Amino acid sequence: MSEWEPKIVSFLCNWCSYGAADLAGVSRMEYPSNIRVIRIPCTGRMSPKFALAALREGADGVWVSG
Amino acid sequence: MGLAKRKSAYVEYAQAVPLKYAIDPDSCIYLKKGKCGACKKFCEADAIDFDQKEEKHTLQVGSVILAPGFKPFDPSRFDNYQYANLPNVVTSMEFERILSASGPTMGHVSRRSKDKAEPKKIAWFQCVGSRDLNKCDNFYCSSVCCMYAIKEAVIAKEHIGEDLDCSVFYMDMRTHGKEFERFYENAKTKHGINFIRSRVHTVNPVPETDDLEIRYVTENGEIVSEIYNMIVLSVGLETSPEIVSLAQKLDVDLTEGNFCKTSSFDPVLTSKEGIYVCGAFQGPKDIPQAVVDASAAAAAAGEKLAAARNSLTKTPEKLVEKNIFGERPRIGVFVCKCGINIAGVVDVPGVAEYAASLPYVDFATDNLYSCSQDTQEVISQIIKEKNLNRVVVAACTPKTHEPLFQETLINAGLNKYLFEMCNIRNQNSWVHKNNPDLATEKAKDLVRMAVSKVALMEPLKEAELEVNQTALIVGGGVAGMAAAQSLSAQGYETHIVEQNSQLGGQALSLFKTAKGEDIQERLSTLNSEINSDDKITVHLNTKLTEVEGFVGNFKTKLSSNGDDQVLEHGVAILATGAAALEPKEYHYGKDSRIITSLELDKKLIEGDPTLKSLNSAVFIQCVGSREPDRQYCSRVCCTHSIDNALELKKRNPEMSVYILYRDIRTYGEREILYRKAREAGVIFIRYTLENKPEVLIDGNNITVKITDHVLGRPIEIGADLLSLASAVIPNKDEALAQFFKVPLNDDGFFVEKHAKLGPSEFATDGVFLCGLAHYPKPIDESIAQGKAAASRAITLLSRQIIFTSGTVAATTQADCSSCGVCISICPYNAPSFLEEGPFAGKAQINSVLCKGCGLCVASCRSGAIRLKGFDNDQIFSQIFSMNEAV
Repeated sequence: MSEWEPKIVSFLCNWCSYGAADLAGVSRMEYPSNIRVIRIPCTGRMSPKFALAALREGADGVWVSG
Repeated sequence: MGLAKRKSAYVEYAQAVPLKYAIDPDSCIYLKKGKCGACKKFCEADAIDFDQKEEKHTLQVGSVILAPGFKPFDPSRFDNYQYANLPNVVTSMEFERILSASGPTMGHVSRRSKDKAEPKKIAWFQCVGSRDLNKCDNFYCSSVCCMYAIKEAVIAKEHIGEDLDCSVFYMDMRTHGKEFERFYENAKTKHGINFIRSRVHTVNPVPETDDLEIRYVTENGEIVSEIYNMIVLSVGLETSPEIVSLAQKLDVDLTEGNFCKTSSFDPVLTSKEGIYVCGAFQGPKDIPQAVVDASAAAAAAGEKLAAARNSLTKTPEKLVEKNIFGERPRIGVFVCKCGINIAGVVDVPGVAEYAASLPYVDFATDNLYSCSQDTQEVISQIIKEKNLNRVVVAACTPKTHEPLFQETLINAGLNKYLFEMCNIRNQNSWVHKNNPDLATEKAKDLVRMAVSKVALMEPLKEAELEVNQTALIVGGGVAGMAAAQSLSAQGYETHIVEQNSQLGGQALSLFKTAKGEDIQERLSTLNSEINSDDKITVHLNTKLTEVEGFVGNFKTKLSSNGDDQVLEHGVAILATGAAALEPKEYHYGKDSRIITSLELDKKLIEGDPTLKSLNSAVFIQCVGSREPDRQYCSRVCCTHSIDNALELKKRNPEMSVYILYRDIRTYGEREILYRKAREAGVIFIRYTLENKPEVLIDGNNITVKITDHVLGRPIEIGADLLSLASAVIPNKDEALAQFFKVPLNDDGFFVEKHAKLGPSEFATDGVFLCGLAHYPKPIDESIAQGKAAASRAITLLSRQIIFTSGTVAATTQADCSSCGVCISICPYNAPSFLEEGPFAGKAQINSVLCKGCGLCVASCRSGAIRLKGFDNDQIFSQIFSMNEAV
């Protein structure tokens, strides 16, 4: 088994998924730490360029949620 | 609730406001025995004070609002259900906690018996402590239990899976709320929940299993015995003895059911002037109705206190905002320990030290609690002393704390948008508590990303908007009239637009309220009060033909018989009402003796002498309601027909009166009418949608054929009068919905901002709603909602000036290709083409309408739109500064 862990960049909608991520904390859930969250005002703001930029910077996965 | 143990230091519940710990004096060892005190030793914030005592304060007030709520009925005294003895017989309130993700079982449905097994078969018993004068004294219907039982059954199936067997044992299924009937239908057809019309008489333990055997009689008269794993008692609502004695102290009258006595026309005023009531103490009710009442009570109190408005407010001193134009970023980073919440996992001083090494960071430190008042002052001092022009706070979540820190910036003379928050608690220390090193690394990355973004932040302006102080009410029924009176009493110019030639709406055709008050008498008083009110202008025979503008500044064209007038107003209340369905069945229209409920009311209002000489009268319920193509309950008809049946009985006690119904829905204390009707000899016969009554006209005779639910046989009733409880039909005014950009649901009722928490307002700012246009409701509820809409409108009007958010989209017109995608994609109608000037034909964005979602920014193919505060370069800088992390 390889030790490789994907690096994930996520773009979360302020009104739903970002709040859900906060709630995961309040509920003391646990998940791996190899994720970096960028808060956006709405997934409507999401641009393909952001996903491409993140991948170009070395992210292994991009997660957009909203 | 006693379902789980809790420590002496506790938070009341997960959503408590404020979310602070308290010490339970009944279990704290220190308070009881003077030993321990461990919490005081460990609390770094030094927040423990064992000497706090109850204090008494005296307040001088102009109005009092009673909102003490209800107490769930305690079923311990019902020996037949054995709640006190059998662990797997629980109350509905306990079951709510069992379903809750923050409850004792973390949302895993399990039994209370020692096996903690997941139940496979659950039964709900309705009307436990409601509609029961046999085993308890609560004659009334608690209004909410049918709906919550269905909801609990549906959620239980979601948690456990489709195989869970759920049965609800009931007397009448009362889903009279908005969208509730559909929920009930879906529960039956999509979720497979069984609904059994029966009152279970015994629950017996099944030896050695913790299961429960129940015995009940089916509708066909069979005695059935079944085994369930768990039983939920749907307990009713009652007023606690403490509240009863409070009411006595306040000299406030109570009803027969121990709820606060009110009149239908003043639904939130108690019997004592100046004391108002809302919520379940006014009568058993669900959340939206309680929220309506709350706003109405606030309006009623506000009407009396209008003269004193703003007389006790203090205006904070405003610092002049520092101009930072042309300055290089000088960033201050504050890393929060949040006690041990963050510092227990993340190396906070290490993160602060790292932050100090980042570009443009002039200052970095850590704080024990960044949100505490003293730290706020310290941060504000540091900003001034170090001449910082950007601030990053690494702490909890911006969703709760961003406004607080922005306030700190304002107090330090900085524009509040020169700020970025970075979430190292909710999305870091709390979720990676077993990986402190990785969490610290992540915190550093998040701080670096925030620093690189904040360096690019610029001061943003919030558009200032004057709110026109005039209100427009569309619709002059009782809801609109109540709203107008409340607005006028609080000092606001109000215009009522009514398409008909007189005010009153549906109330003009109604005889009496459920409480027996004369509607026409009250309506004429209301009419003259409104006509003599200087602040209310009534526009009869008038329609809206054009609406321009937005919150605070609407321009509406009113047309009356060819005359046009433009009215400028700051808010609009839609009270456009509804109408009675003209029945298409039961031979309506073919015989003058077959009439609708409203037509019977007309006869009662006019005192028609022929009513006395009738030998028999039949009422048919649900005419057009609760049908596949109109899947809602019209809410008012059961009470209305029973009331009218009693009126007929009063005129001629010998008259045979029949009510043919599907479920009797006399919710709340209206149940008393149902009882009175049965006592007066009104005969109730139930029918089903599949087996509707049949009406035959044969010469002079009208005959109604129906299968009697007790006899199980078809019977024929001769009717001298047939009253049809026809459905309440919304006006479905699509043009009006378009004018104010507000939605209609499938049935044609307006869709409110939030089904539970925002029932009297729209998601569109500055537009409010009340009355039948929202959902069918009786007069008292319409008046309460009229007041509630006024109350919500005044929260806006009284501000006089409103500020919009600074994070809005803006166009660079030189880059715009005039494609119009932004205009078609925006849900809020914020973009438009400029009509004149050098950039005519290019898009502009109205910052007042813009909600800052960024949809137009992402869709603009020319890159001509930017979203302030979430600009491309700002988001890219976050992505680019991640490089070390990814």
